Amino acid sequence: MNQLIYNFAAWLDSHRWSTLLHESFYMYNWVETTHVLTLMLSLGMLFLVDLRLLGYAFPDVPASAVAGRLKLPMLVGFTLMVVTGLLLFYAIPVRSAQSVWFRIKFLLLIAAAINAFLFHRRMRESVAAWDTDQRAPRRLRAAAALSIIFWVLIVICGRLIAYNWFDCEYDQPAFVSAVAGCIAGQELY
Amino acid sequence: MNAAVPIPWFRTIVVVTVVALGLTFAFSGLRIYVWEALLPFFEWMETTWFGVIGQTWGAAFAVVEAFHLLAMALLGGAVLVSDARLLGLAFTELPARQVLDPAHRLFVLALVLALATGVFMACGVAIKIYYLPVFWFKMLALATGVLFVFFIKRPLLHDGIEQLNPWLVRLVAIASVMLWFTVAASGRWIGFSG
Repeated sequence: MNQLIYNFAAWLDSHRWSTLLHESFYMYNWVETTHVLTLMLSLGMLFLVDLRLLGYAFPDVPASAVAGRLKLPMLVGFTLMVVTGLLLFYAIPVRSAQSVWFRIKFLLLIAAAINAFLFHRRMRESVAAWDTDQRAPRRLRAAAALSIIFWVLIVICGRLIAYNWFDCEYDQPAFVSAVAGCIAGQELY
Repeated sequence: MNAAVPIPWFRTIVVVTVVALGLTFAFSGLRIYVWEALLPFFEWMETTWFGVIGQTWGAAFAVVEAFHLLAMALLGGAVLVSDARLLGLAFTELPARQVLDPAHRLFVLALVLALATGVFMACGVAIKIYYLPVFWFKMLALATGVLFVFFIKRPLLHDGIEQLNPWLVRLVAIASVMLWFTVAASGRWIGFSG
Protein backbone atom coordinates (compact mmCIF):
# COMPACT_ATOMS: atom_id res chain seq x y z
CA MET A 1 0.00 0.00 0.00
CA ASN A 2 2.75 2.45 1.02
CA GLN A 3 4.69 1.53 -2.14
CA LEU A 4 1.57 2.24 -4.20
CA ILE A 5 1.06 5.64 -2.52
CA TYR A 6 4.75 6.47 -3.04
CA ASN A 7 4.59 5.48 -6.73
CA PHE A 8 1.50 7.63 -7.25
CA ALA A 9 3.12 10.61 -5.46
CA ALA A 10 6.35 10.12 -7.46
CA TRP A 11 4.30 10.10 -10.66
CA LEU A 12 2.63 13.40 -9.66
CA ASP A 13 6.04 14.77 -8.76
CA SER A 14 7.30 14.04 -12.30
CA HIS A 15 4.74 16.50 -13.72
CA ARG A 16 6.16 19.81 -14.87
CA TRP A 17 3.17 21.71 -13.43
CA SER A 18 3.82 20.24 -10.00
CA THR A 19 7.37 21.60 -9.99
CA LEU A 20 6.26 24.96 -11.42
CA LEU A 21 3.61 25.38 -8.73
CA HIS A 22 6.00 24.38 -5.96
CA GLU A 23 8.70 26.77 -7.15
CA SER A 24 6.42 29.73 -7.84
CA PHE A 25 6.68 31.97 -4.78
CA TYR A 26 3.52 33.97 -5.44
CA MET A 27 1.34 31.23 -6.97
CA TYR A 28 2.09 28.68 -4.25
CA ASN A 29 1.58 31.23 -1.48
CA TRP A 30 -1.64 32.50 -3.06
CA VAL A 31 -3.00 28.96 -3.22
CA GLU A 32 -1.97 28.34 0.39
CA THR A 33 -3.37 31.69 1.55
CA THR A 34 -6.68 30.91 -0.18
CA HIS A 35 -6.70 27.49 1.52
CA VAL A 36 -6.21 29.12 4.93
CA LEU A 37 -8.47 32.17 4.49
CA THR A 38 -11.33 30.03 3.19
CA LEU A 39 -11.49 28.65 6.75
CA MET A 40 -13.48 31.80 7.54
CA LEU A 41 -16.15 30.71 5.06
CA SER A 42 -16.19 26.94 5.56
CA LEU A 43 -15.30 26.47 9.23
CA GLY A 44 -16.72 29.86 10.17
CA MET A 45 -20.19 28.80 8.97
CA LEU A 46 -19.82 25.26 10.33
CA PHE A 47 -18.89 26.54 13.79
CA LEU A 48 -21.92 28.85 13.81
CA VAL A 49 -24.27 25.96 12.98
CA ASP A 50 -22.63 23.67 15.57
CA LEU A 51 -22.71 26.41 18.22
CA ARG A 52 -26.39 27.09 17.44
CA LEU A 53 -27.22 23.42 18.13
CA LEU A 54 -25.17 23.51 21.33
CA GLY A 55 -27.10 26.59 22.45
CA TYR A 56 -24.18 29.04 22.36
CA ALA A 57 -25.11 31.11 19.30
CA PHE A 58 -28.24 32.69 17.76
CA PRO A 59 -30.62 31.27 20.41
CA ASP A 60 -33.55 33.27 19.02
CA VAL A 61 -33.07 32.14 15.43
CA PRO A 62 -34.64 28.79 14.41
CA ALA A 63 -31.97 26.12 14.00
CA SER A 64 -33.28 25.19 10.56
CA ALA A 65 -32.88 28.84 9.43
CA VAL A 66 -29.26 28.98 10.63
CA ALA A 67 -28.38 25.61 9.06
CA GLY A 68 -30.31 26.30 5.85
CA ARG A 69 -28.94 29.79 5.21
CA LEU A 70 -25.33 28.97 6.02
CA LYS A 71 -25.24 25.75 4.01
CA LEU A 72 -24.48 27.34 0.63
CA PRO A 73 -21.55 29.57 1.76
CA MET A 74 -20.24 26.63 3.82
CA LEU A 75 -20.29 24.31 0.79
CA VAL A 76 -18.66 26.98 -1.39
CA GLY A 77 -15.95 27.32 1.27
CA PHE A 78 -15.36 23.58 1.53
CA THR A 79 -15.23 23.25 -2.28
CA LEU A 80 -12.56 25.97 -2.43
CA MET A 81 -10.65 24.25 0.39
CA VAL A 82 -10.72 20.89 -1.42
CA VAL A 83 -9.54 22.45 -4.72
CA THR A 84 -6.72 24.44 -3.10
CA GLY A 85 -5.86 21.48 -0.85
CA LEU A 86 -5.51 19.19 -3.88
CA LEU A 87 -3.30 21.82 -5.56
CA LEU A 88 -1.09 22.03 -2.44
CA PHE A 89 -0.77 18.22 -2.45
CA TYR A 90 0.02 18.28 -6.18
CA ALA A 91 2.79 20.85 -5.61
CA ILE A 92 4.58 18.71 -2.96
CA PRO A 93 3.20 15.19 -3.47
CA VAL A 94 5.86 12.86 -2.03
CA ARG A 95 6.50 14.75 1.19
CA SER A 96 2.76 15.30 1.76
CA ALA A 97 1.85 11.64 1.09
CA GLN A 98 4.51 10.58 3.60
CA SER A 99 3.60 13.15 6.24
CA VAL A 100 2.34 11.63 9.48
CA TRP A 101 0.19 14.73 10.02
CA PHE A 102 -1.26 14.62 6.52
CA ARG A 103 -2.25 10.97 7.02
CA ILE A 104 -3.93 11.70 10.37
CA LYS A 105 -5.65 14.73 8.84
CA PHE A 106 -6.94 12.60 5.97
CA LEU A 107 -8.47 10.06 8.38
CA LEU A 108 -9.99 12.85 10.47
CA LEU A 109 -11.51 14.40 7.32
CA ILE A 110 -13.19 11.07 6.53
CA ALA A 111 -14.48 10.83 10.13
CA ALA A 112 -15.75 14.44 9.98
CA ALA A 113 -17.49 13.78 6.66
CA ILE A 114 -19.27 10.67 8.04
CA ASN A 115 -20.28 12.60 11.16
CA ALA A 116 -21.58 15.48 9.01
CA PHE A 117 -23.60 13.07 6.83
CA LEU A 118 -25.23 11.34 9.82
CA PHE A 119 -25.73 14.69 11.60
CA HIS A 120 -27.42 16.20 8.55
CA ARG A 121 -29.77 13.22 8.19
CA ARG A 122 -30.65 13.12 11.88
CA MET A 123 -31.28 16.87 11.92
CA ARG A 124 -33.51 16.78 8.83
CA GLU A 125 -35.63 14.03 10.38
CA SER A 126 -36.16 15.67 13.75
CA VAL A 127 -35.72 19.45 13.40
CA ALA A 128 -39.45 20.25 13.28
CA ALA A 129 -39.82 19.06 16.88
CA TRP A 130 -37.18 21.35 18.41
CA ASP A 131 -36.48 24.05 15.77
CA THR A 132 -37.05 27.02 18.08
CA ASP A 133 -35.57 25.44 21.24
CA GLN A 134 -32.40 27.08 22.51
CA ARG A 135 -30.55 23.75 22.37
CA ALA A 136 -30.86 20.72 20.12
CA PRO A 137 -31.61 17.24 21.54
CA ARG A 138 -28.72 15.44 23.21
CA ARG A 139 -27.69 13.21 20.29
CA LEU A 140 -27.48 16.16 17.93
CA ARG A 141 -25.55 18.19 20.50
CA ALA A 142 -23.08 15.30 20.75
CA ALA A 143 -22.71 15.27 16.96
CA ALA A 144 -22.16 19.05 16.93
CA ALA A 145 -19.52 18.80 19.67
CA LEU A 146 -17.85 15.95 17.78
CA SER A 147 -17.84 18.05 14.62
CA ILE A 148 -16.06 20.91 16.44
CA ILE A 149 -13.52 18.49 17.97
CA PHE A 150 -12.81 16.86 14.57
CA TRP A 151 -12.23 20.21 12.91
CA VAL A 152 -10.02 21.55 15.70
CA LEU A 153 -7.86 18.43 15.27
CA ILE A 154 -7.93 18.75 11.47
CA VAL A 155 -6.70 22.35 11.63
CA ILE A 156 -3.97 21.38 14.14
CA CYS A 157 -2.80 18.52 11.87
CA GLY A 158 -2.97 20.80 8.83
CA ARG A 159 -0.79 23.34 10.58
CA LEU A 160 1.68 20.63 11.68
CA ILE A 161 2.19 19.40 8.09
CA ALA A 162 4.48 22.42 7.64
CA TYR A 163 6.90 21.05 10.26
CA ASN A 164 9.50 18.46 9.21
CA TRP A 165 10.07 16.62 12.51
CA PHE A 166 8.84 13.26 11.18
CA ASP A 167 9.88 13.54 7.50
CA CYS A 168 11.18 10.34 5.85
CA GLU A 169 14.20 12.36 4.74
CA TYR A 170 15.62 12.08 8.29
CA ASP A 171 16.31 9.02 10.43
CA GLN A 172 13.08 8.13 12.22
CA PRO A 173 12.11 5.52 14.81
CA ALA A 174 10.55 2.41 13.25
CA PHE A 175 7.06 3.38 14.44
CA VAL A 176 7.19 6.85 12.84
CA SER A 177 8.65 5.35 9.67
CA ALA A 178 5.79 2.85 9.48
CA VAL A 179 3.08 5.46 10.08
CA ALA A 180 4.63 7.85 7.55
CA GLY A 181 5.00 5.01 5.02
CA CYS A 182 8.69 5.63 4.36
CA ILE A 183 10.13 3.34 1.68
CA ALA A 184 13.61 1.89 2.18
CA GLY A 185 16.00 3.41 -0.35
CA GLN A 186 13.44 5.85 -1.78
CA GLU A 187 14.96 8.50 -4.05
CA LEU A 188 12.36 11.26 -3.80
CA TYR A 189 11.35 13.18 -0.69
CA MET B 1 -25.18 72.68 32.72
CA ASN B 2 -23.74 72.58 29.21
CA ALA B 3 -23.08 68.84 29.57
CA ALA B 4 -26.61 68.01 28.44
CA VAL B 5 -26.30 69.97 25.20
CA PRO B 6 -25.46 67.50 22.42
CA ILE B 7 -22.67 68.57 20.10
CA PRO B 8 -23.85 68.16 16.51
CA TRP B 9 -21.87 65.65 14.42
CA PHE B 10 -19.88 64.72 17.56
CA ARG B 11 -19.09 61.16 16.48
CA THR B 12 -18.13 62.25 12.97
CA ILE B 13 -15.81 64.94 14.37
CA VAL B 14 -14.11 62.38 16.64
CA VAL B 15 -13.65 59.86 13.80
CA VAL B 16 -12.27 62.49 11.40
CA THR B 17 -9.89 63.73 14.13
CA VAL B 18 -8.66 60.20 14.85
CA VAL B 19 -8.14 59.51 11.11
CA ALA B 20 -6.29 62.85 10.72
CA LEU B 21 -4.06 62.06 13.72
CA GLY B 22 -3.42 58.57 12.34
CA LEU B 23 -2.42 59.92 8.93
CA THR B 24 -0.17 62.57 10.52
CA PHE B 25 1.51 59.82 12.54
CA ALA B 26 1.89 57.57 9.47
CA PHE B 27 3.46 60.21 7.24
CA SER B 28 5.70 61.95 9.77
CA GLY B 29 9.03 61.09 11.38
CA LEU B 30 7.16 60.26 14.56
CA ARG B 31 6.38 56.81 13.14
CA ILE B 32 10.10 55.96 12.85
CA TYR B 33 10.81 57.44 16.28
CA VAL B 34 8.11 55.27 17.93
CA TRP B 35 9.27 52.19 15.98
CA GLU B 36 12.85 52.63 17.18
CA ALA B 37 11.69 53.18 20.75
CA LEU B 38 9.74 49.90 20.64
CA LEU B 39 12.81 47.71 19.99
CA PRO B 40 13.61 47.13 23.71
CA PHE B 41 9.99 46.08 24.24
CA PHE B 42 10.20 43.49 21.46
CA GLU B 43 13.55 42.25 22.84
CA TRP B 44 11.90 41.89 26.24
CA MET B 45 9.00 39.94 24.68
CA GLU B 46 11.40 37.18 23.62
CA THR B 47 12.63 36.81 27.20
CA THR B 48 9.15 36.29 28.68
CA TRP B 49 7.71 32.82 29.42
CA PHE B 50 5.70 32.96 26.21
CA GLY B 51 8.82 33.91 24.25
CA VAL B 52 10.95 31.13 25.76
CA ILE B 53 8.25 28.46 25.24
CA GLY B 54 7.58 29.65 21.69
CA GLN B 55 11.26 29.50 20.77
CA THR B 56 12.18 26.22 22.46
CA TRP B 57 9.07 24.09 22.05
CA GLY B 58 8.06 24.07 18.39
CA ALA B 59 5.03 21.82 18.98
CA ALA B 60 3.49 24.33 21.42
CA PHE B 61 4.03 27.14 18.93
CA ALA B 62 2.40 25.09 16.14
CA VAL B 63 -0.65 24.17 18.24
CA VAL B 64 -1.14 27.81 19.31
CA GLU B 65 -0.84 28.78 15.63
CA ALA B 66 -3.66 26.33 14.86
CA PHE B 67 -5.86 27.90 17.55
CA HIS B 68 -5.06 31.32 16.08
CA LEU B 69 -6.44 30.01 12.75
CA LEU B 70 -9.51 28.54 14.48
CA ALA B 71 -10.16 31.92 16.12
CA MET B 72 -9.80 33.53 12.69
CA ALA B 73 -12.36 31.08 11.28
CA LEU B 74 -14.89 31.89 14.01
CA LEU B 75 -14.22 35.63 13.72
CA GLY B 76 -14.67 35.42 9.94
CA GLY B 77 -17.90 33.46 10.35
CA ALA B 78 -19.34 36.02 12.78
CA VAL B 79 -18.31 38.97 10.56
CA LEU B 80 -19.66 37.35 7.38
CA VAL B 81 -23.02 36.48 8.92
CA SER B 82 -23.63 39.93 10.40
CA ASP B 83 -22.48 41.65 7.20
CA ALA B 84 -24.62 39.32 5.08
CA ARG B 85 -27.63 40.45 7.16
CA LEU B 86 -26.67 44.12 6.67
CA LEU B 87 -26.31 43.57 2.93
CA GLY B 88 -29.72 41.89 2.81
CA LEU B 89 -28.24 38.56 1.66
CA ALA B 90 -29.40 36.39 4.58
CA PHE B 91 -31.83 36.35 7.50
CA THR B 92 -33.78 39.30 6.09
CA GLU B 93 -36.97 37.78 7.56
CA LEU B 94 -35.55 38.39 11.07
CA PRO B 95 -35.04 41.71 12.90
CA ALA B 96 -31.40 42.79 12.42
CA ARG B 97 -30.71 42.84 16.17
CA GLN B 98 -31.62 39.17 16.44
CA VAL B 99 -28.69 38.32 14.17
CA LEU B 100 -26.23 41.17 14.86
CA ASP B 101 -26.11 40.89 18.66
CA PRO B 102 -25.31 37.15 18.94
CA ALA B 103 -22.89 37.48 16.02
CA HIS B 104 -21.12 40.32 17.86
CA ARG B 105 -20.80 38.19 21.02
CA LEU B 106 -19.09 35.45 18.97
CA PHE B 107 -16.92 38.09 17.28
CA VAL B 108 -15.69 39.34 20.68
CA LEU B 109 -15.00 35.78 21.85
CA ALA B 110 -13.04 35.01 18.66
CA LEU B 111 -11.16 38.33 18.88
CA VAL B 112 -10.06 37.60 22.46
CA LEU B 113 -8.85 34.11 21.46
CA ALA B 114 -7.06 35.52 18.39
CA LEU B 115 -5.39 38.25 20.47
CA ALA B 116 -4.30 35.82 23.21
CA THR B 117 -2.81 33.32 20.75
CA GLY B 118 -1.39 36.17 18.65
CA VAL B 119 0.48 37.65 21.64
CA PHE B 120 1.96 34.21 22.41
CA MET B 121 3.12 33.77 18.81
CA ALA B 122 4.50 37.32 18.65
CA CYS B 123 6.61 36.69 21.77
CA GLY B 124 8.21 33.64 20.13
CA VAL B 125 9.32 35.55 17.02
CA ALA B 126 9.37 39.13 18.37
CA ILE B 127 12.62 40.37 16.82
CA LYS B 128 11.81 38.79 13.45
CA ILE B 129 8.38 40.42 13.19
CA TYR B 130 9.70 43.73 14.51
CA TYR B 131 11.66 44.11 11.25
CA LEU B 132 8.82 42.87 9.00
CA PRO B 133 6.76 45.65 7.34
CA VAL B 134 3.86 43.20 6.81
CA PHE B 135 3.56 42.66 10.60
CA TRP B 136 3.06 46.39 11.08
CA PHE B 137 0.55 46.46 8.20
CA LYS B 138 -1.38 43.74 10.01
CA MET B 139 -1.26 45.62 13.32
CA LEU B 140 -2.49 48.75 11.53
CA ALA B 141 -5.32 46.78 9.87
CA LEU B 142 -6.19 45.08 13.17
CA ALA B 143 -6.29 48.37 15.08
CA THR B 144 -8.45 49.89 12.32
CA GLY B 145 -10.75 46.86 12.40
CA VAL B 146 -11.21 46.96 16.18
CA LEU B 147 -11.77 50.74 16.21
CA PHE B 148 -14.18 50.38 13.29
CA VAL B 149 -16.26 47.74 15.07
CA PHE B 150 -16.41 49.36 18.51
CA PHE B 151 -16.50 53.06 17.57
CA ILE B 152 -18.27 53.12 14.21
CA LYS B 153 -20.18 49.93 13.36
CA ARG B 154 -21.69 49.08 16.75
CA PRO B 155 -22.68 52.64 17.78
CA LEU B 156 -24.10 53.30 14.31
CA LEU B 157 -26.25 50.15 14.35
CA HIS B 158 -27.11 50.40 18.04
CA ASP B 159 -30.59 51.83 17.56
CA GLY B 160 -31.47 49.51 14.70
CA ILE B 161 -30.78 49.73 10.99
CA GLU B 162 -34.31 50.58 9.88
CA GLN B 163 -33.93 54.35 10.21
CA LEU B 164 -30.50 54.45 8.54
CA ASN B 165 -29.87 55.09 4.87
CA PRO B 166 -29.73 51.57 3.29
CA TRP B 167 -26.63 52.54 1.32
CA LEU B 168 -24.83 53.58 4.51
CA VAL B 169 -25.66 50.17 6.02
CA ARG B 170 -24.33 48.40 2.91
CA LEU B 171 -21.19 50.56 2.96
CA VAL B 172 -20.55 49.62 6.60
CA ALA B 173 -20.93 45.91 5.75
CA ILE B 174 -18.58 46.10 2.75
CA ALA B 175 -15.99 48.09 4.74
CA SER B 176 -16.20 45.50 7.54
CA VAL B 177 -15.64 42.51 5.20
CA MET B 178 -12.73 44.28 3.46
CA LEU B 179 -11.10 45.25 6.76
CA TRP B 180 -11.19 41.78 8.29
CA PHE B 181 -10.10 40.16 5.04
CA THR B 182 -7.10 42.51 5.04
CA VAL B 183 -6.28 41.59 8.66
CA ALA B 184 -6.41 37.85 7.88
CA ALA B 185 -4.53 38.08 4.57
CA SER B 186 -1.73 40.29 5.95
CA GLY B 187 -1.49 37.90 8.92
CA ARG B 188 -1.03 34.93 6.61
CA TRP B 189 1.63 36.84 4.70
CA ILE B 190 3.73 37.23 7.87
CA GLY B 191 4.41 33.49 7.57
CA PHE B 192 5.80 33.92 4.05
CA SER B 193 8.07 36.83 4.95
CA GLY B 194 11.38 37.20 6.70
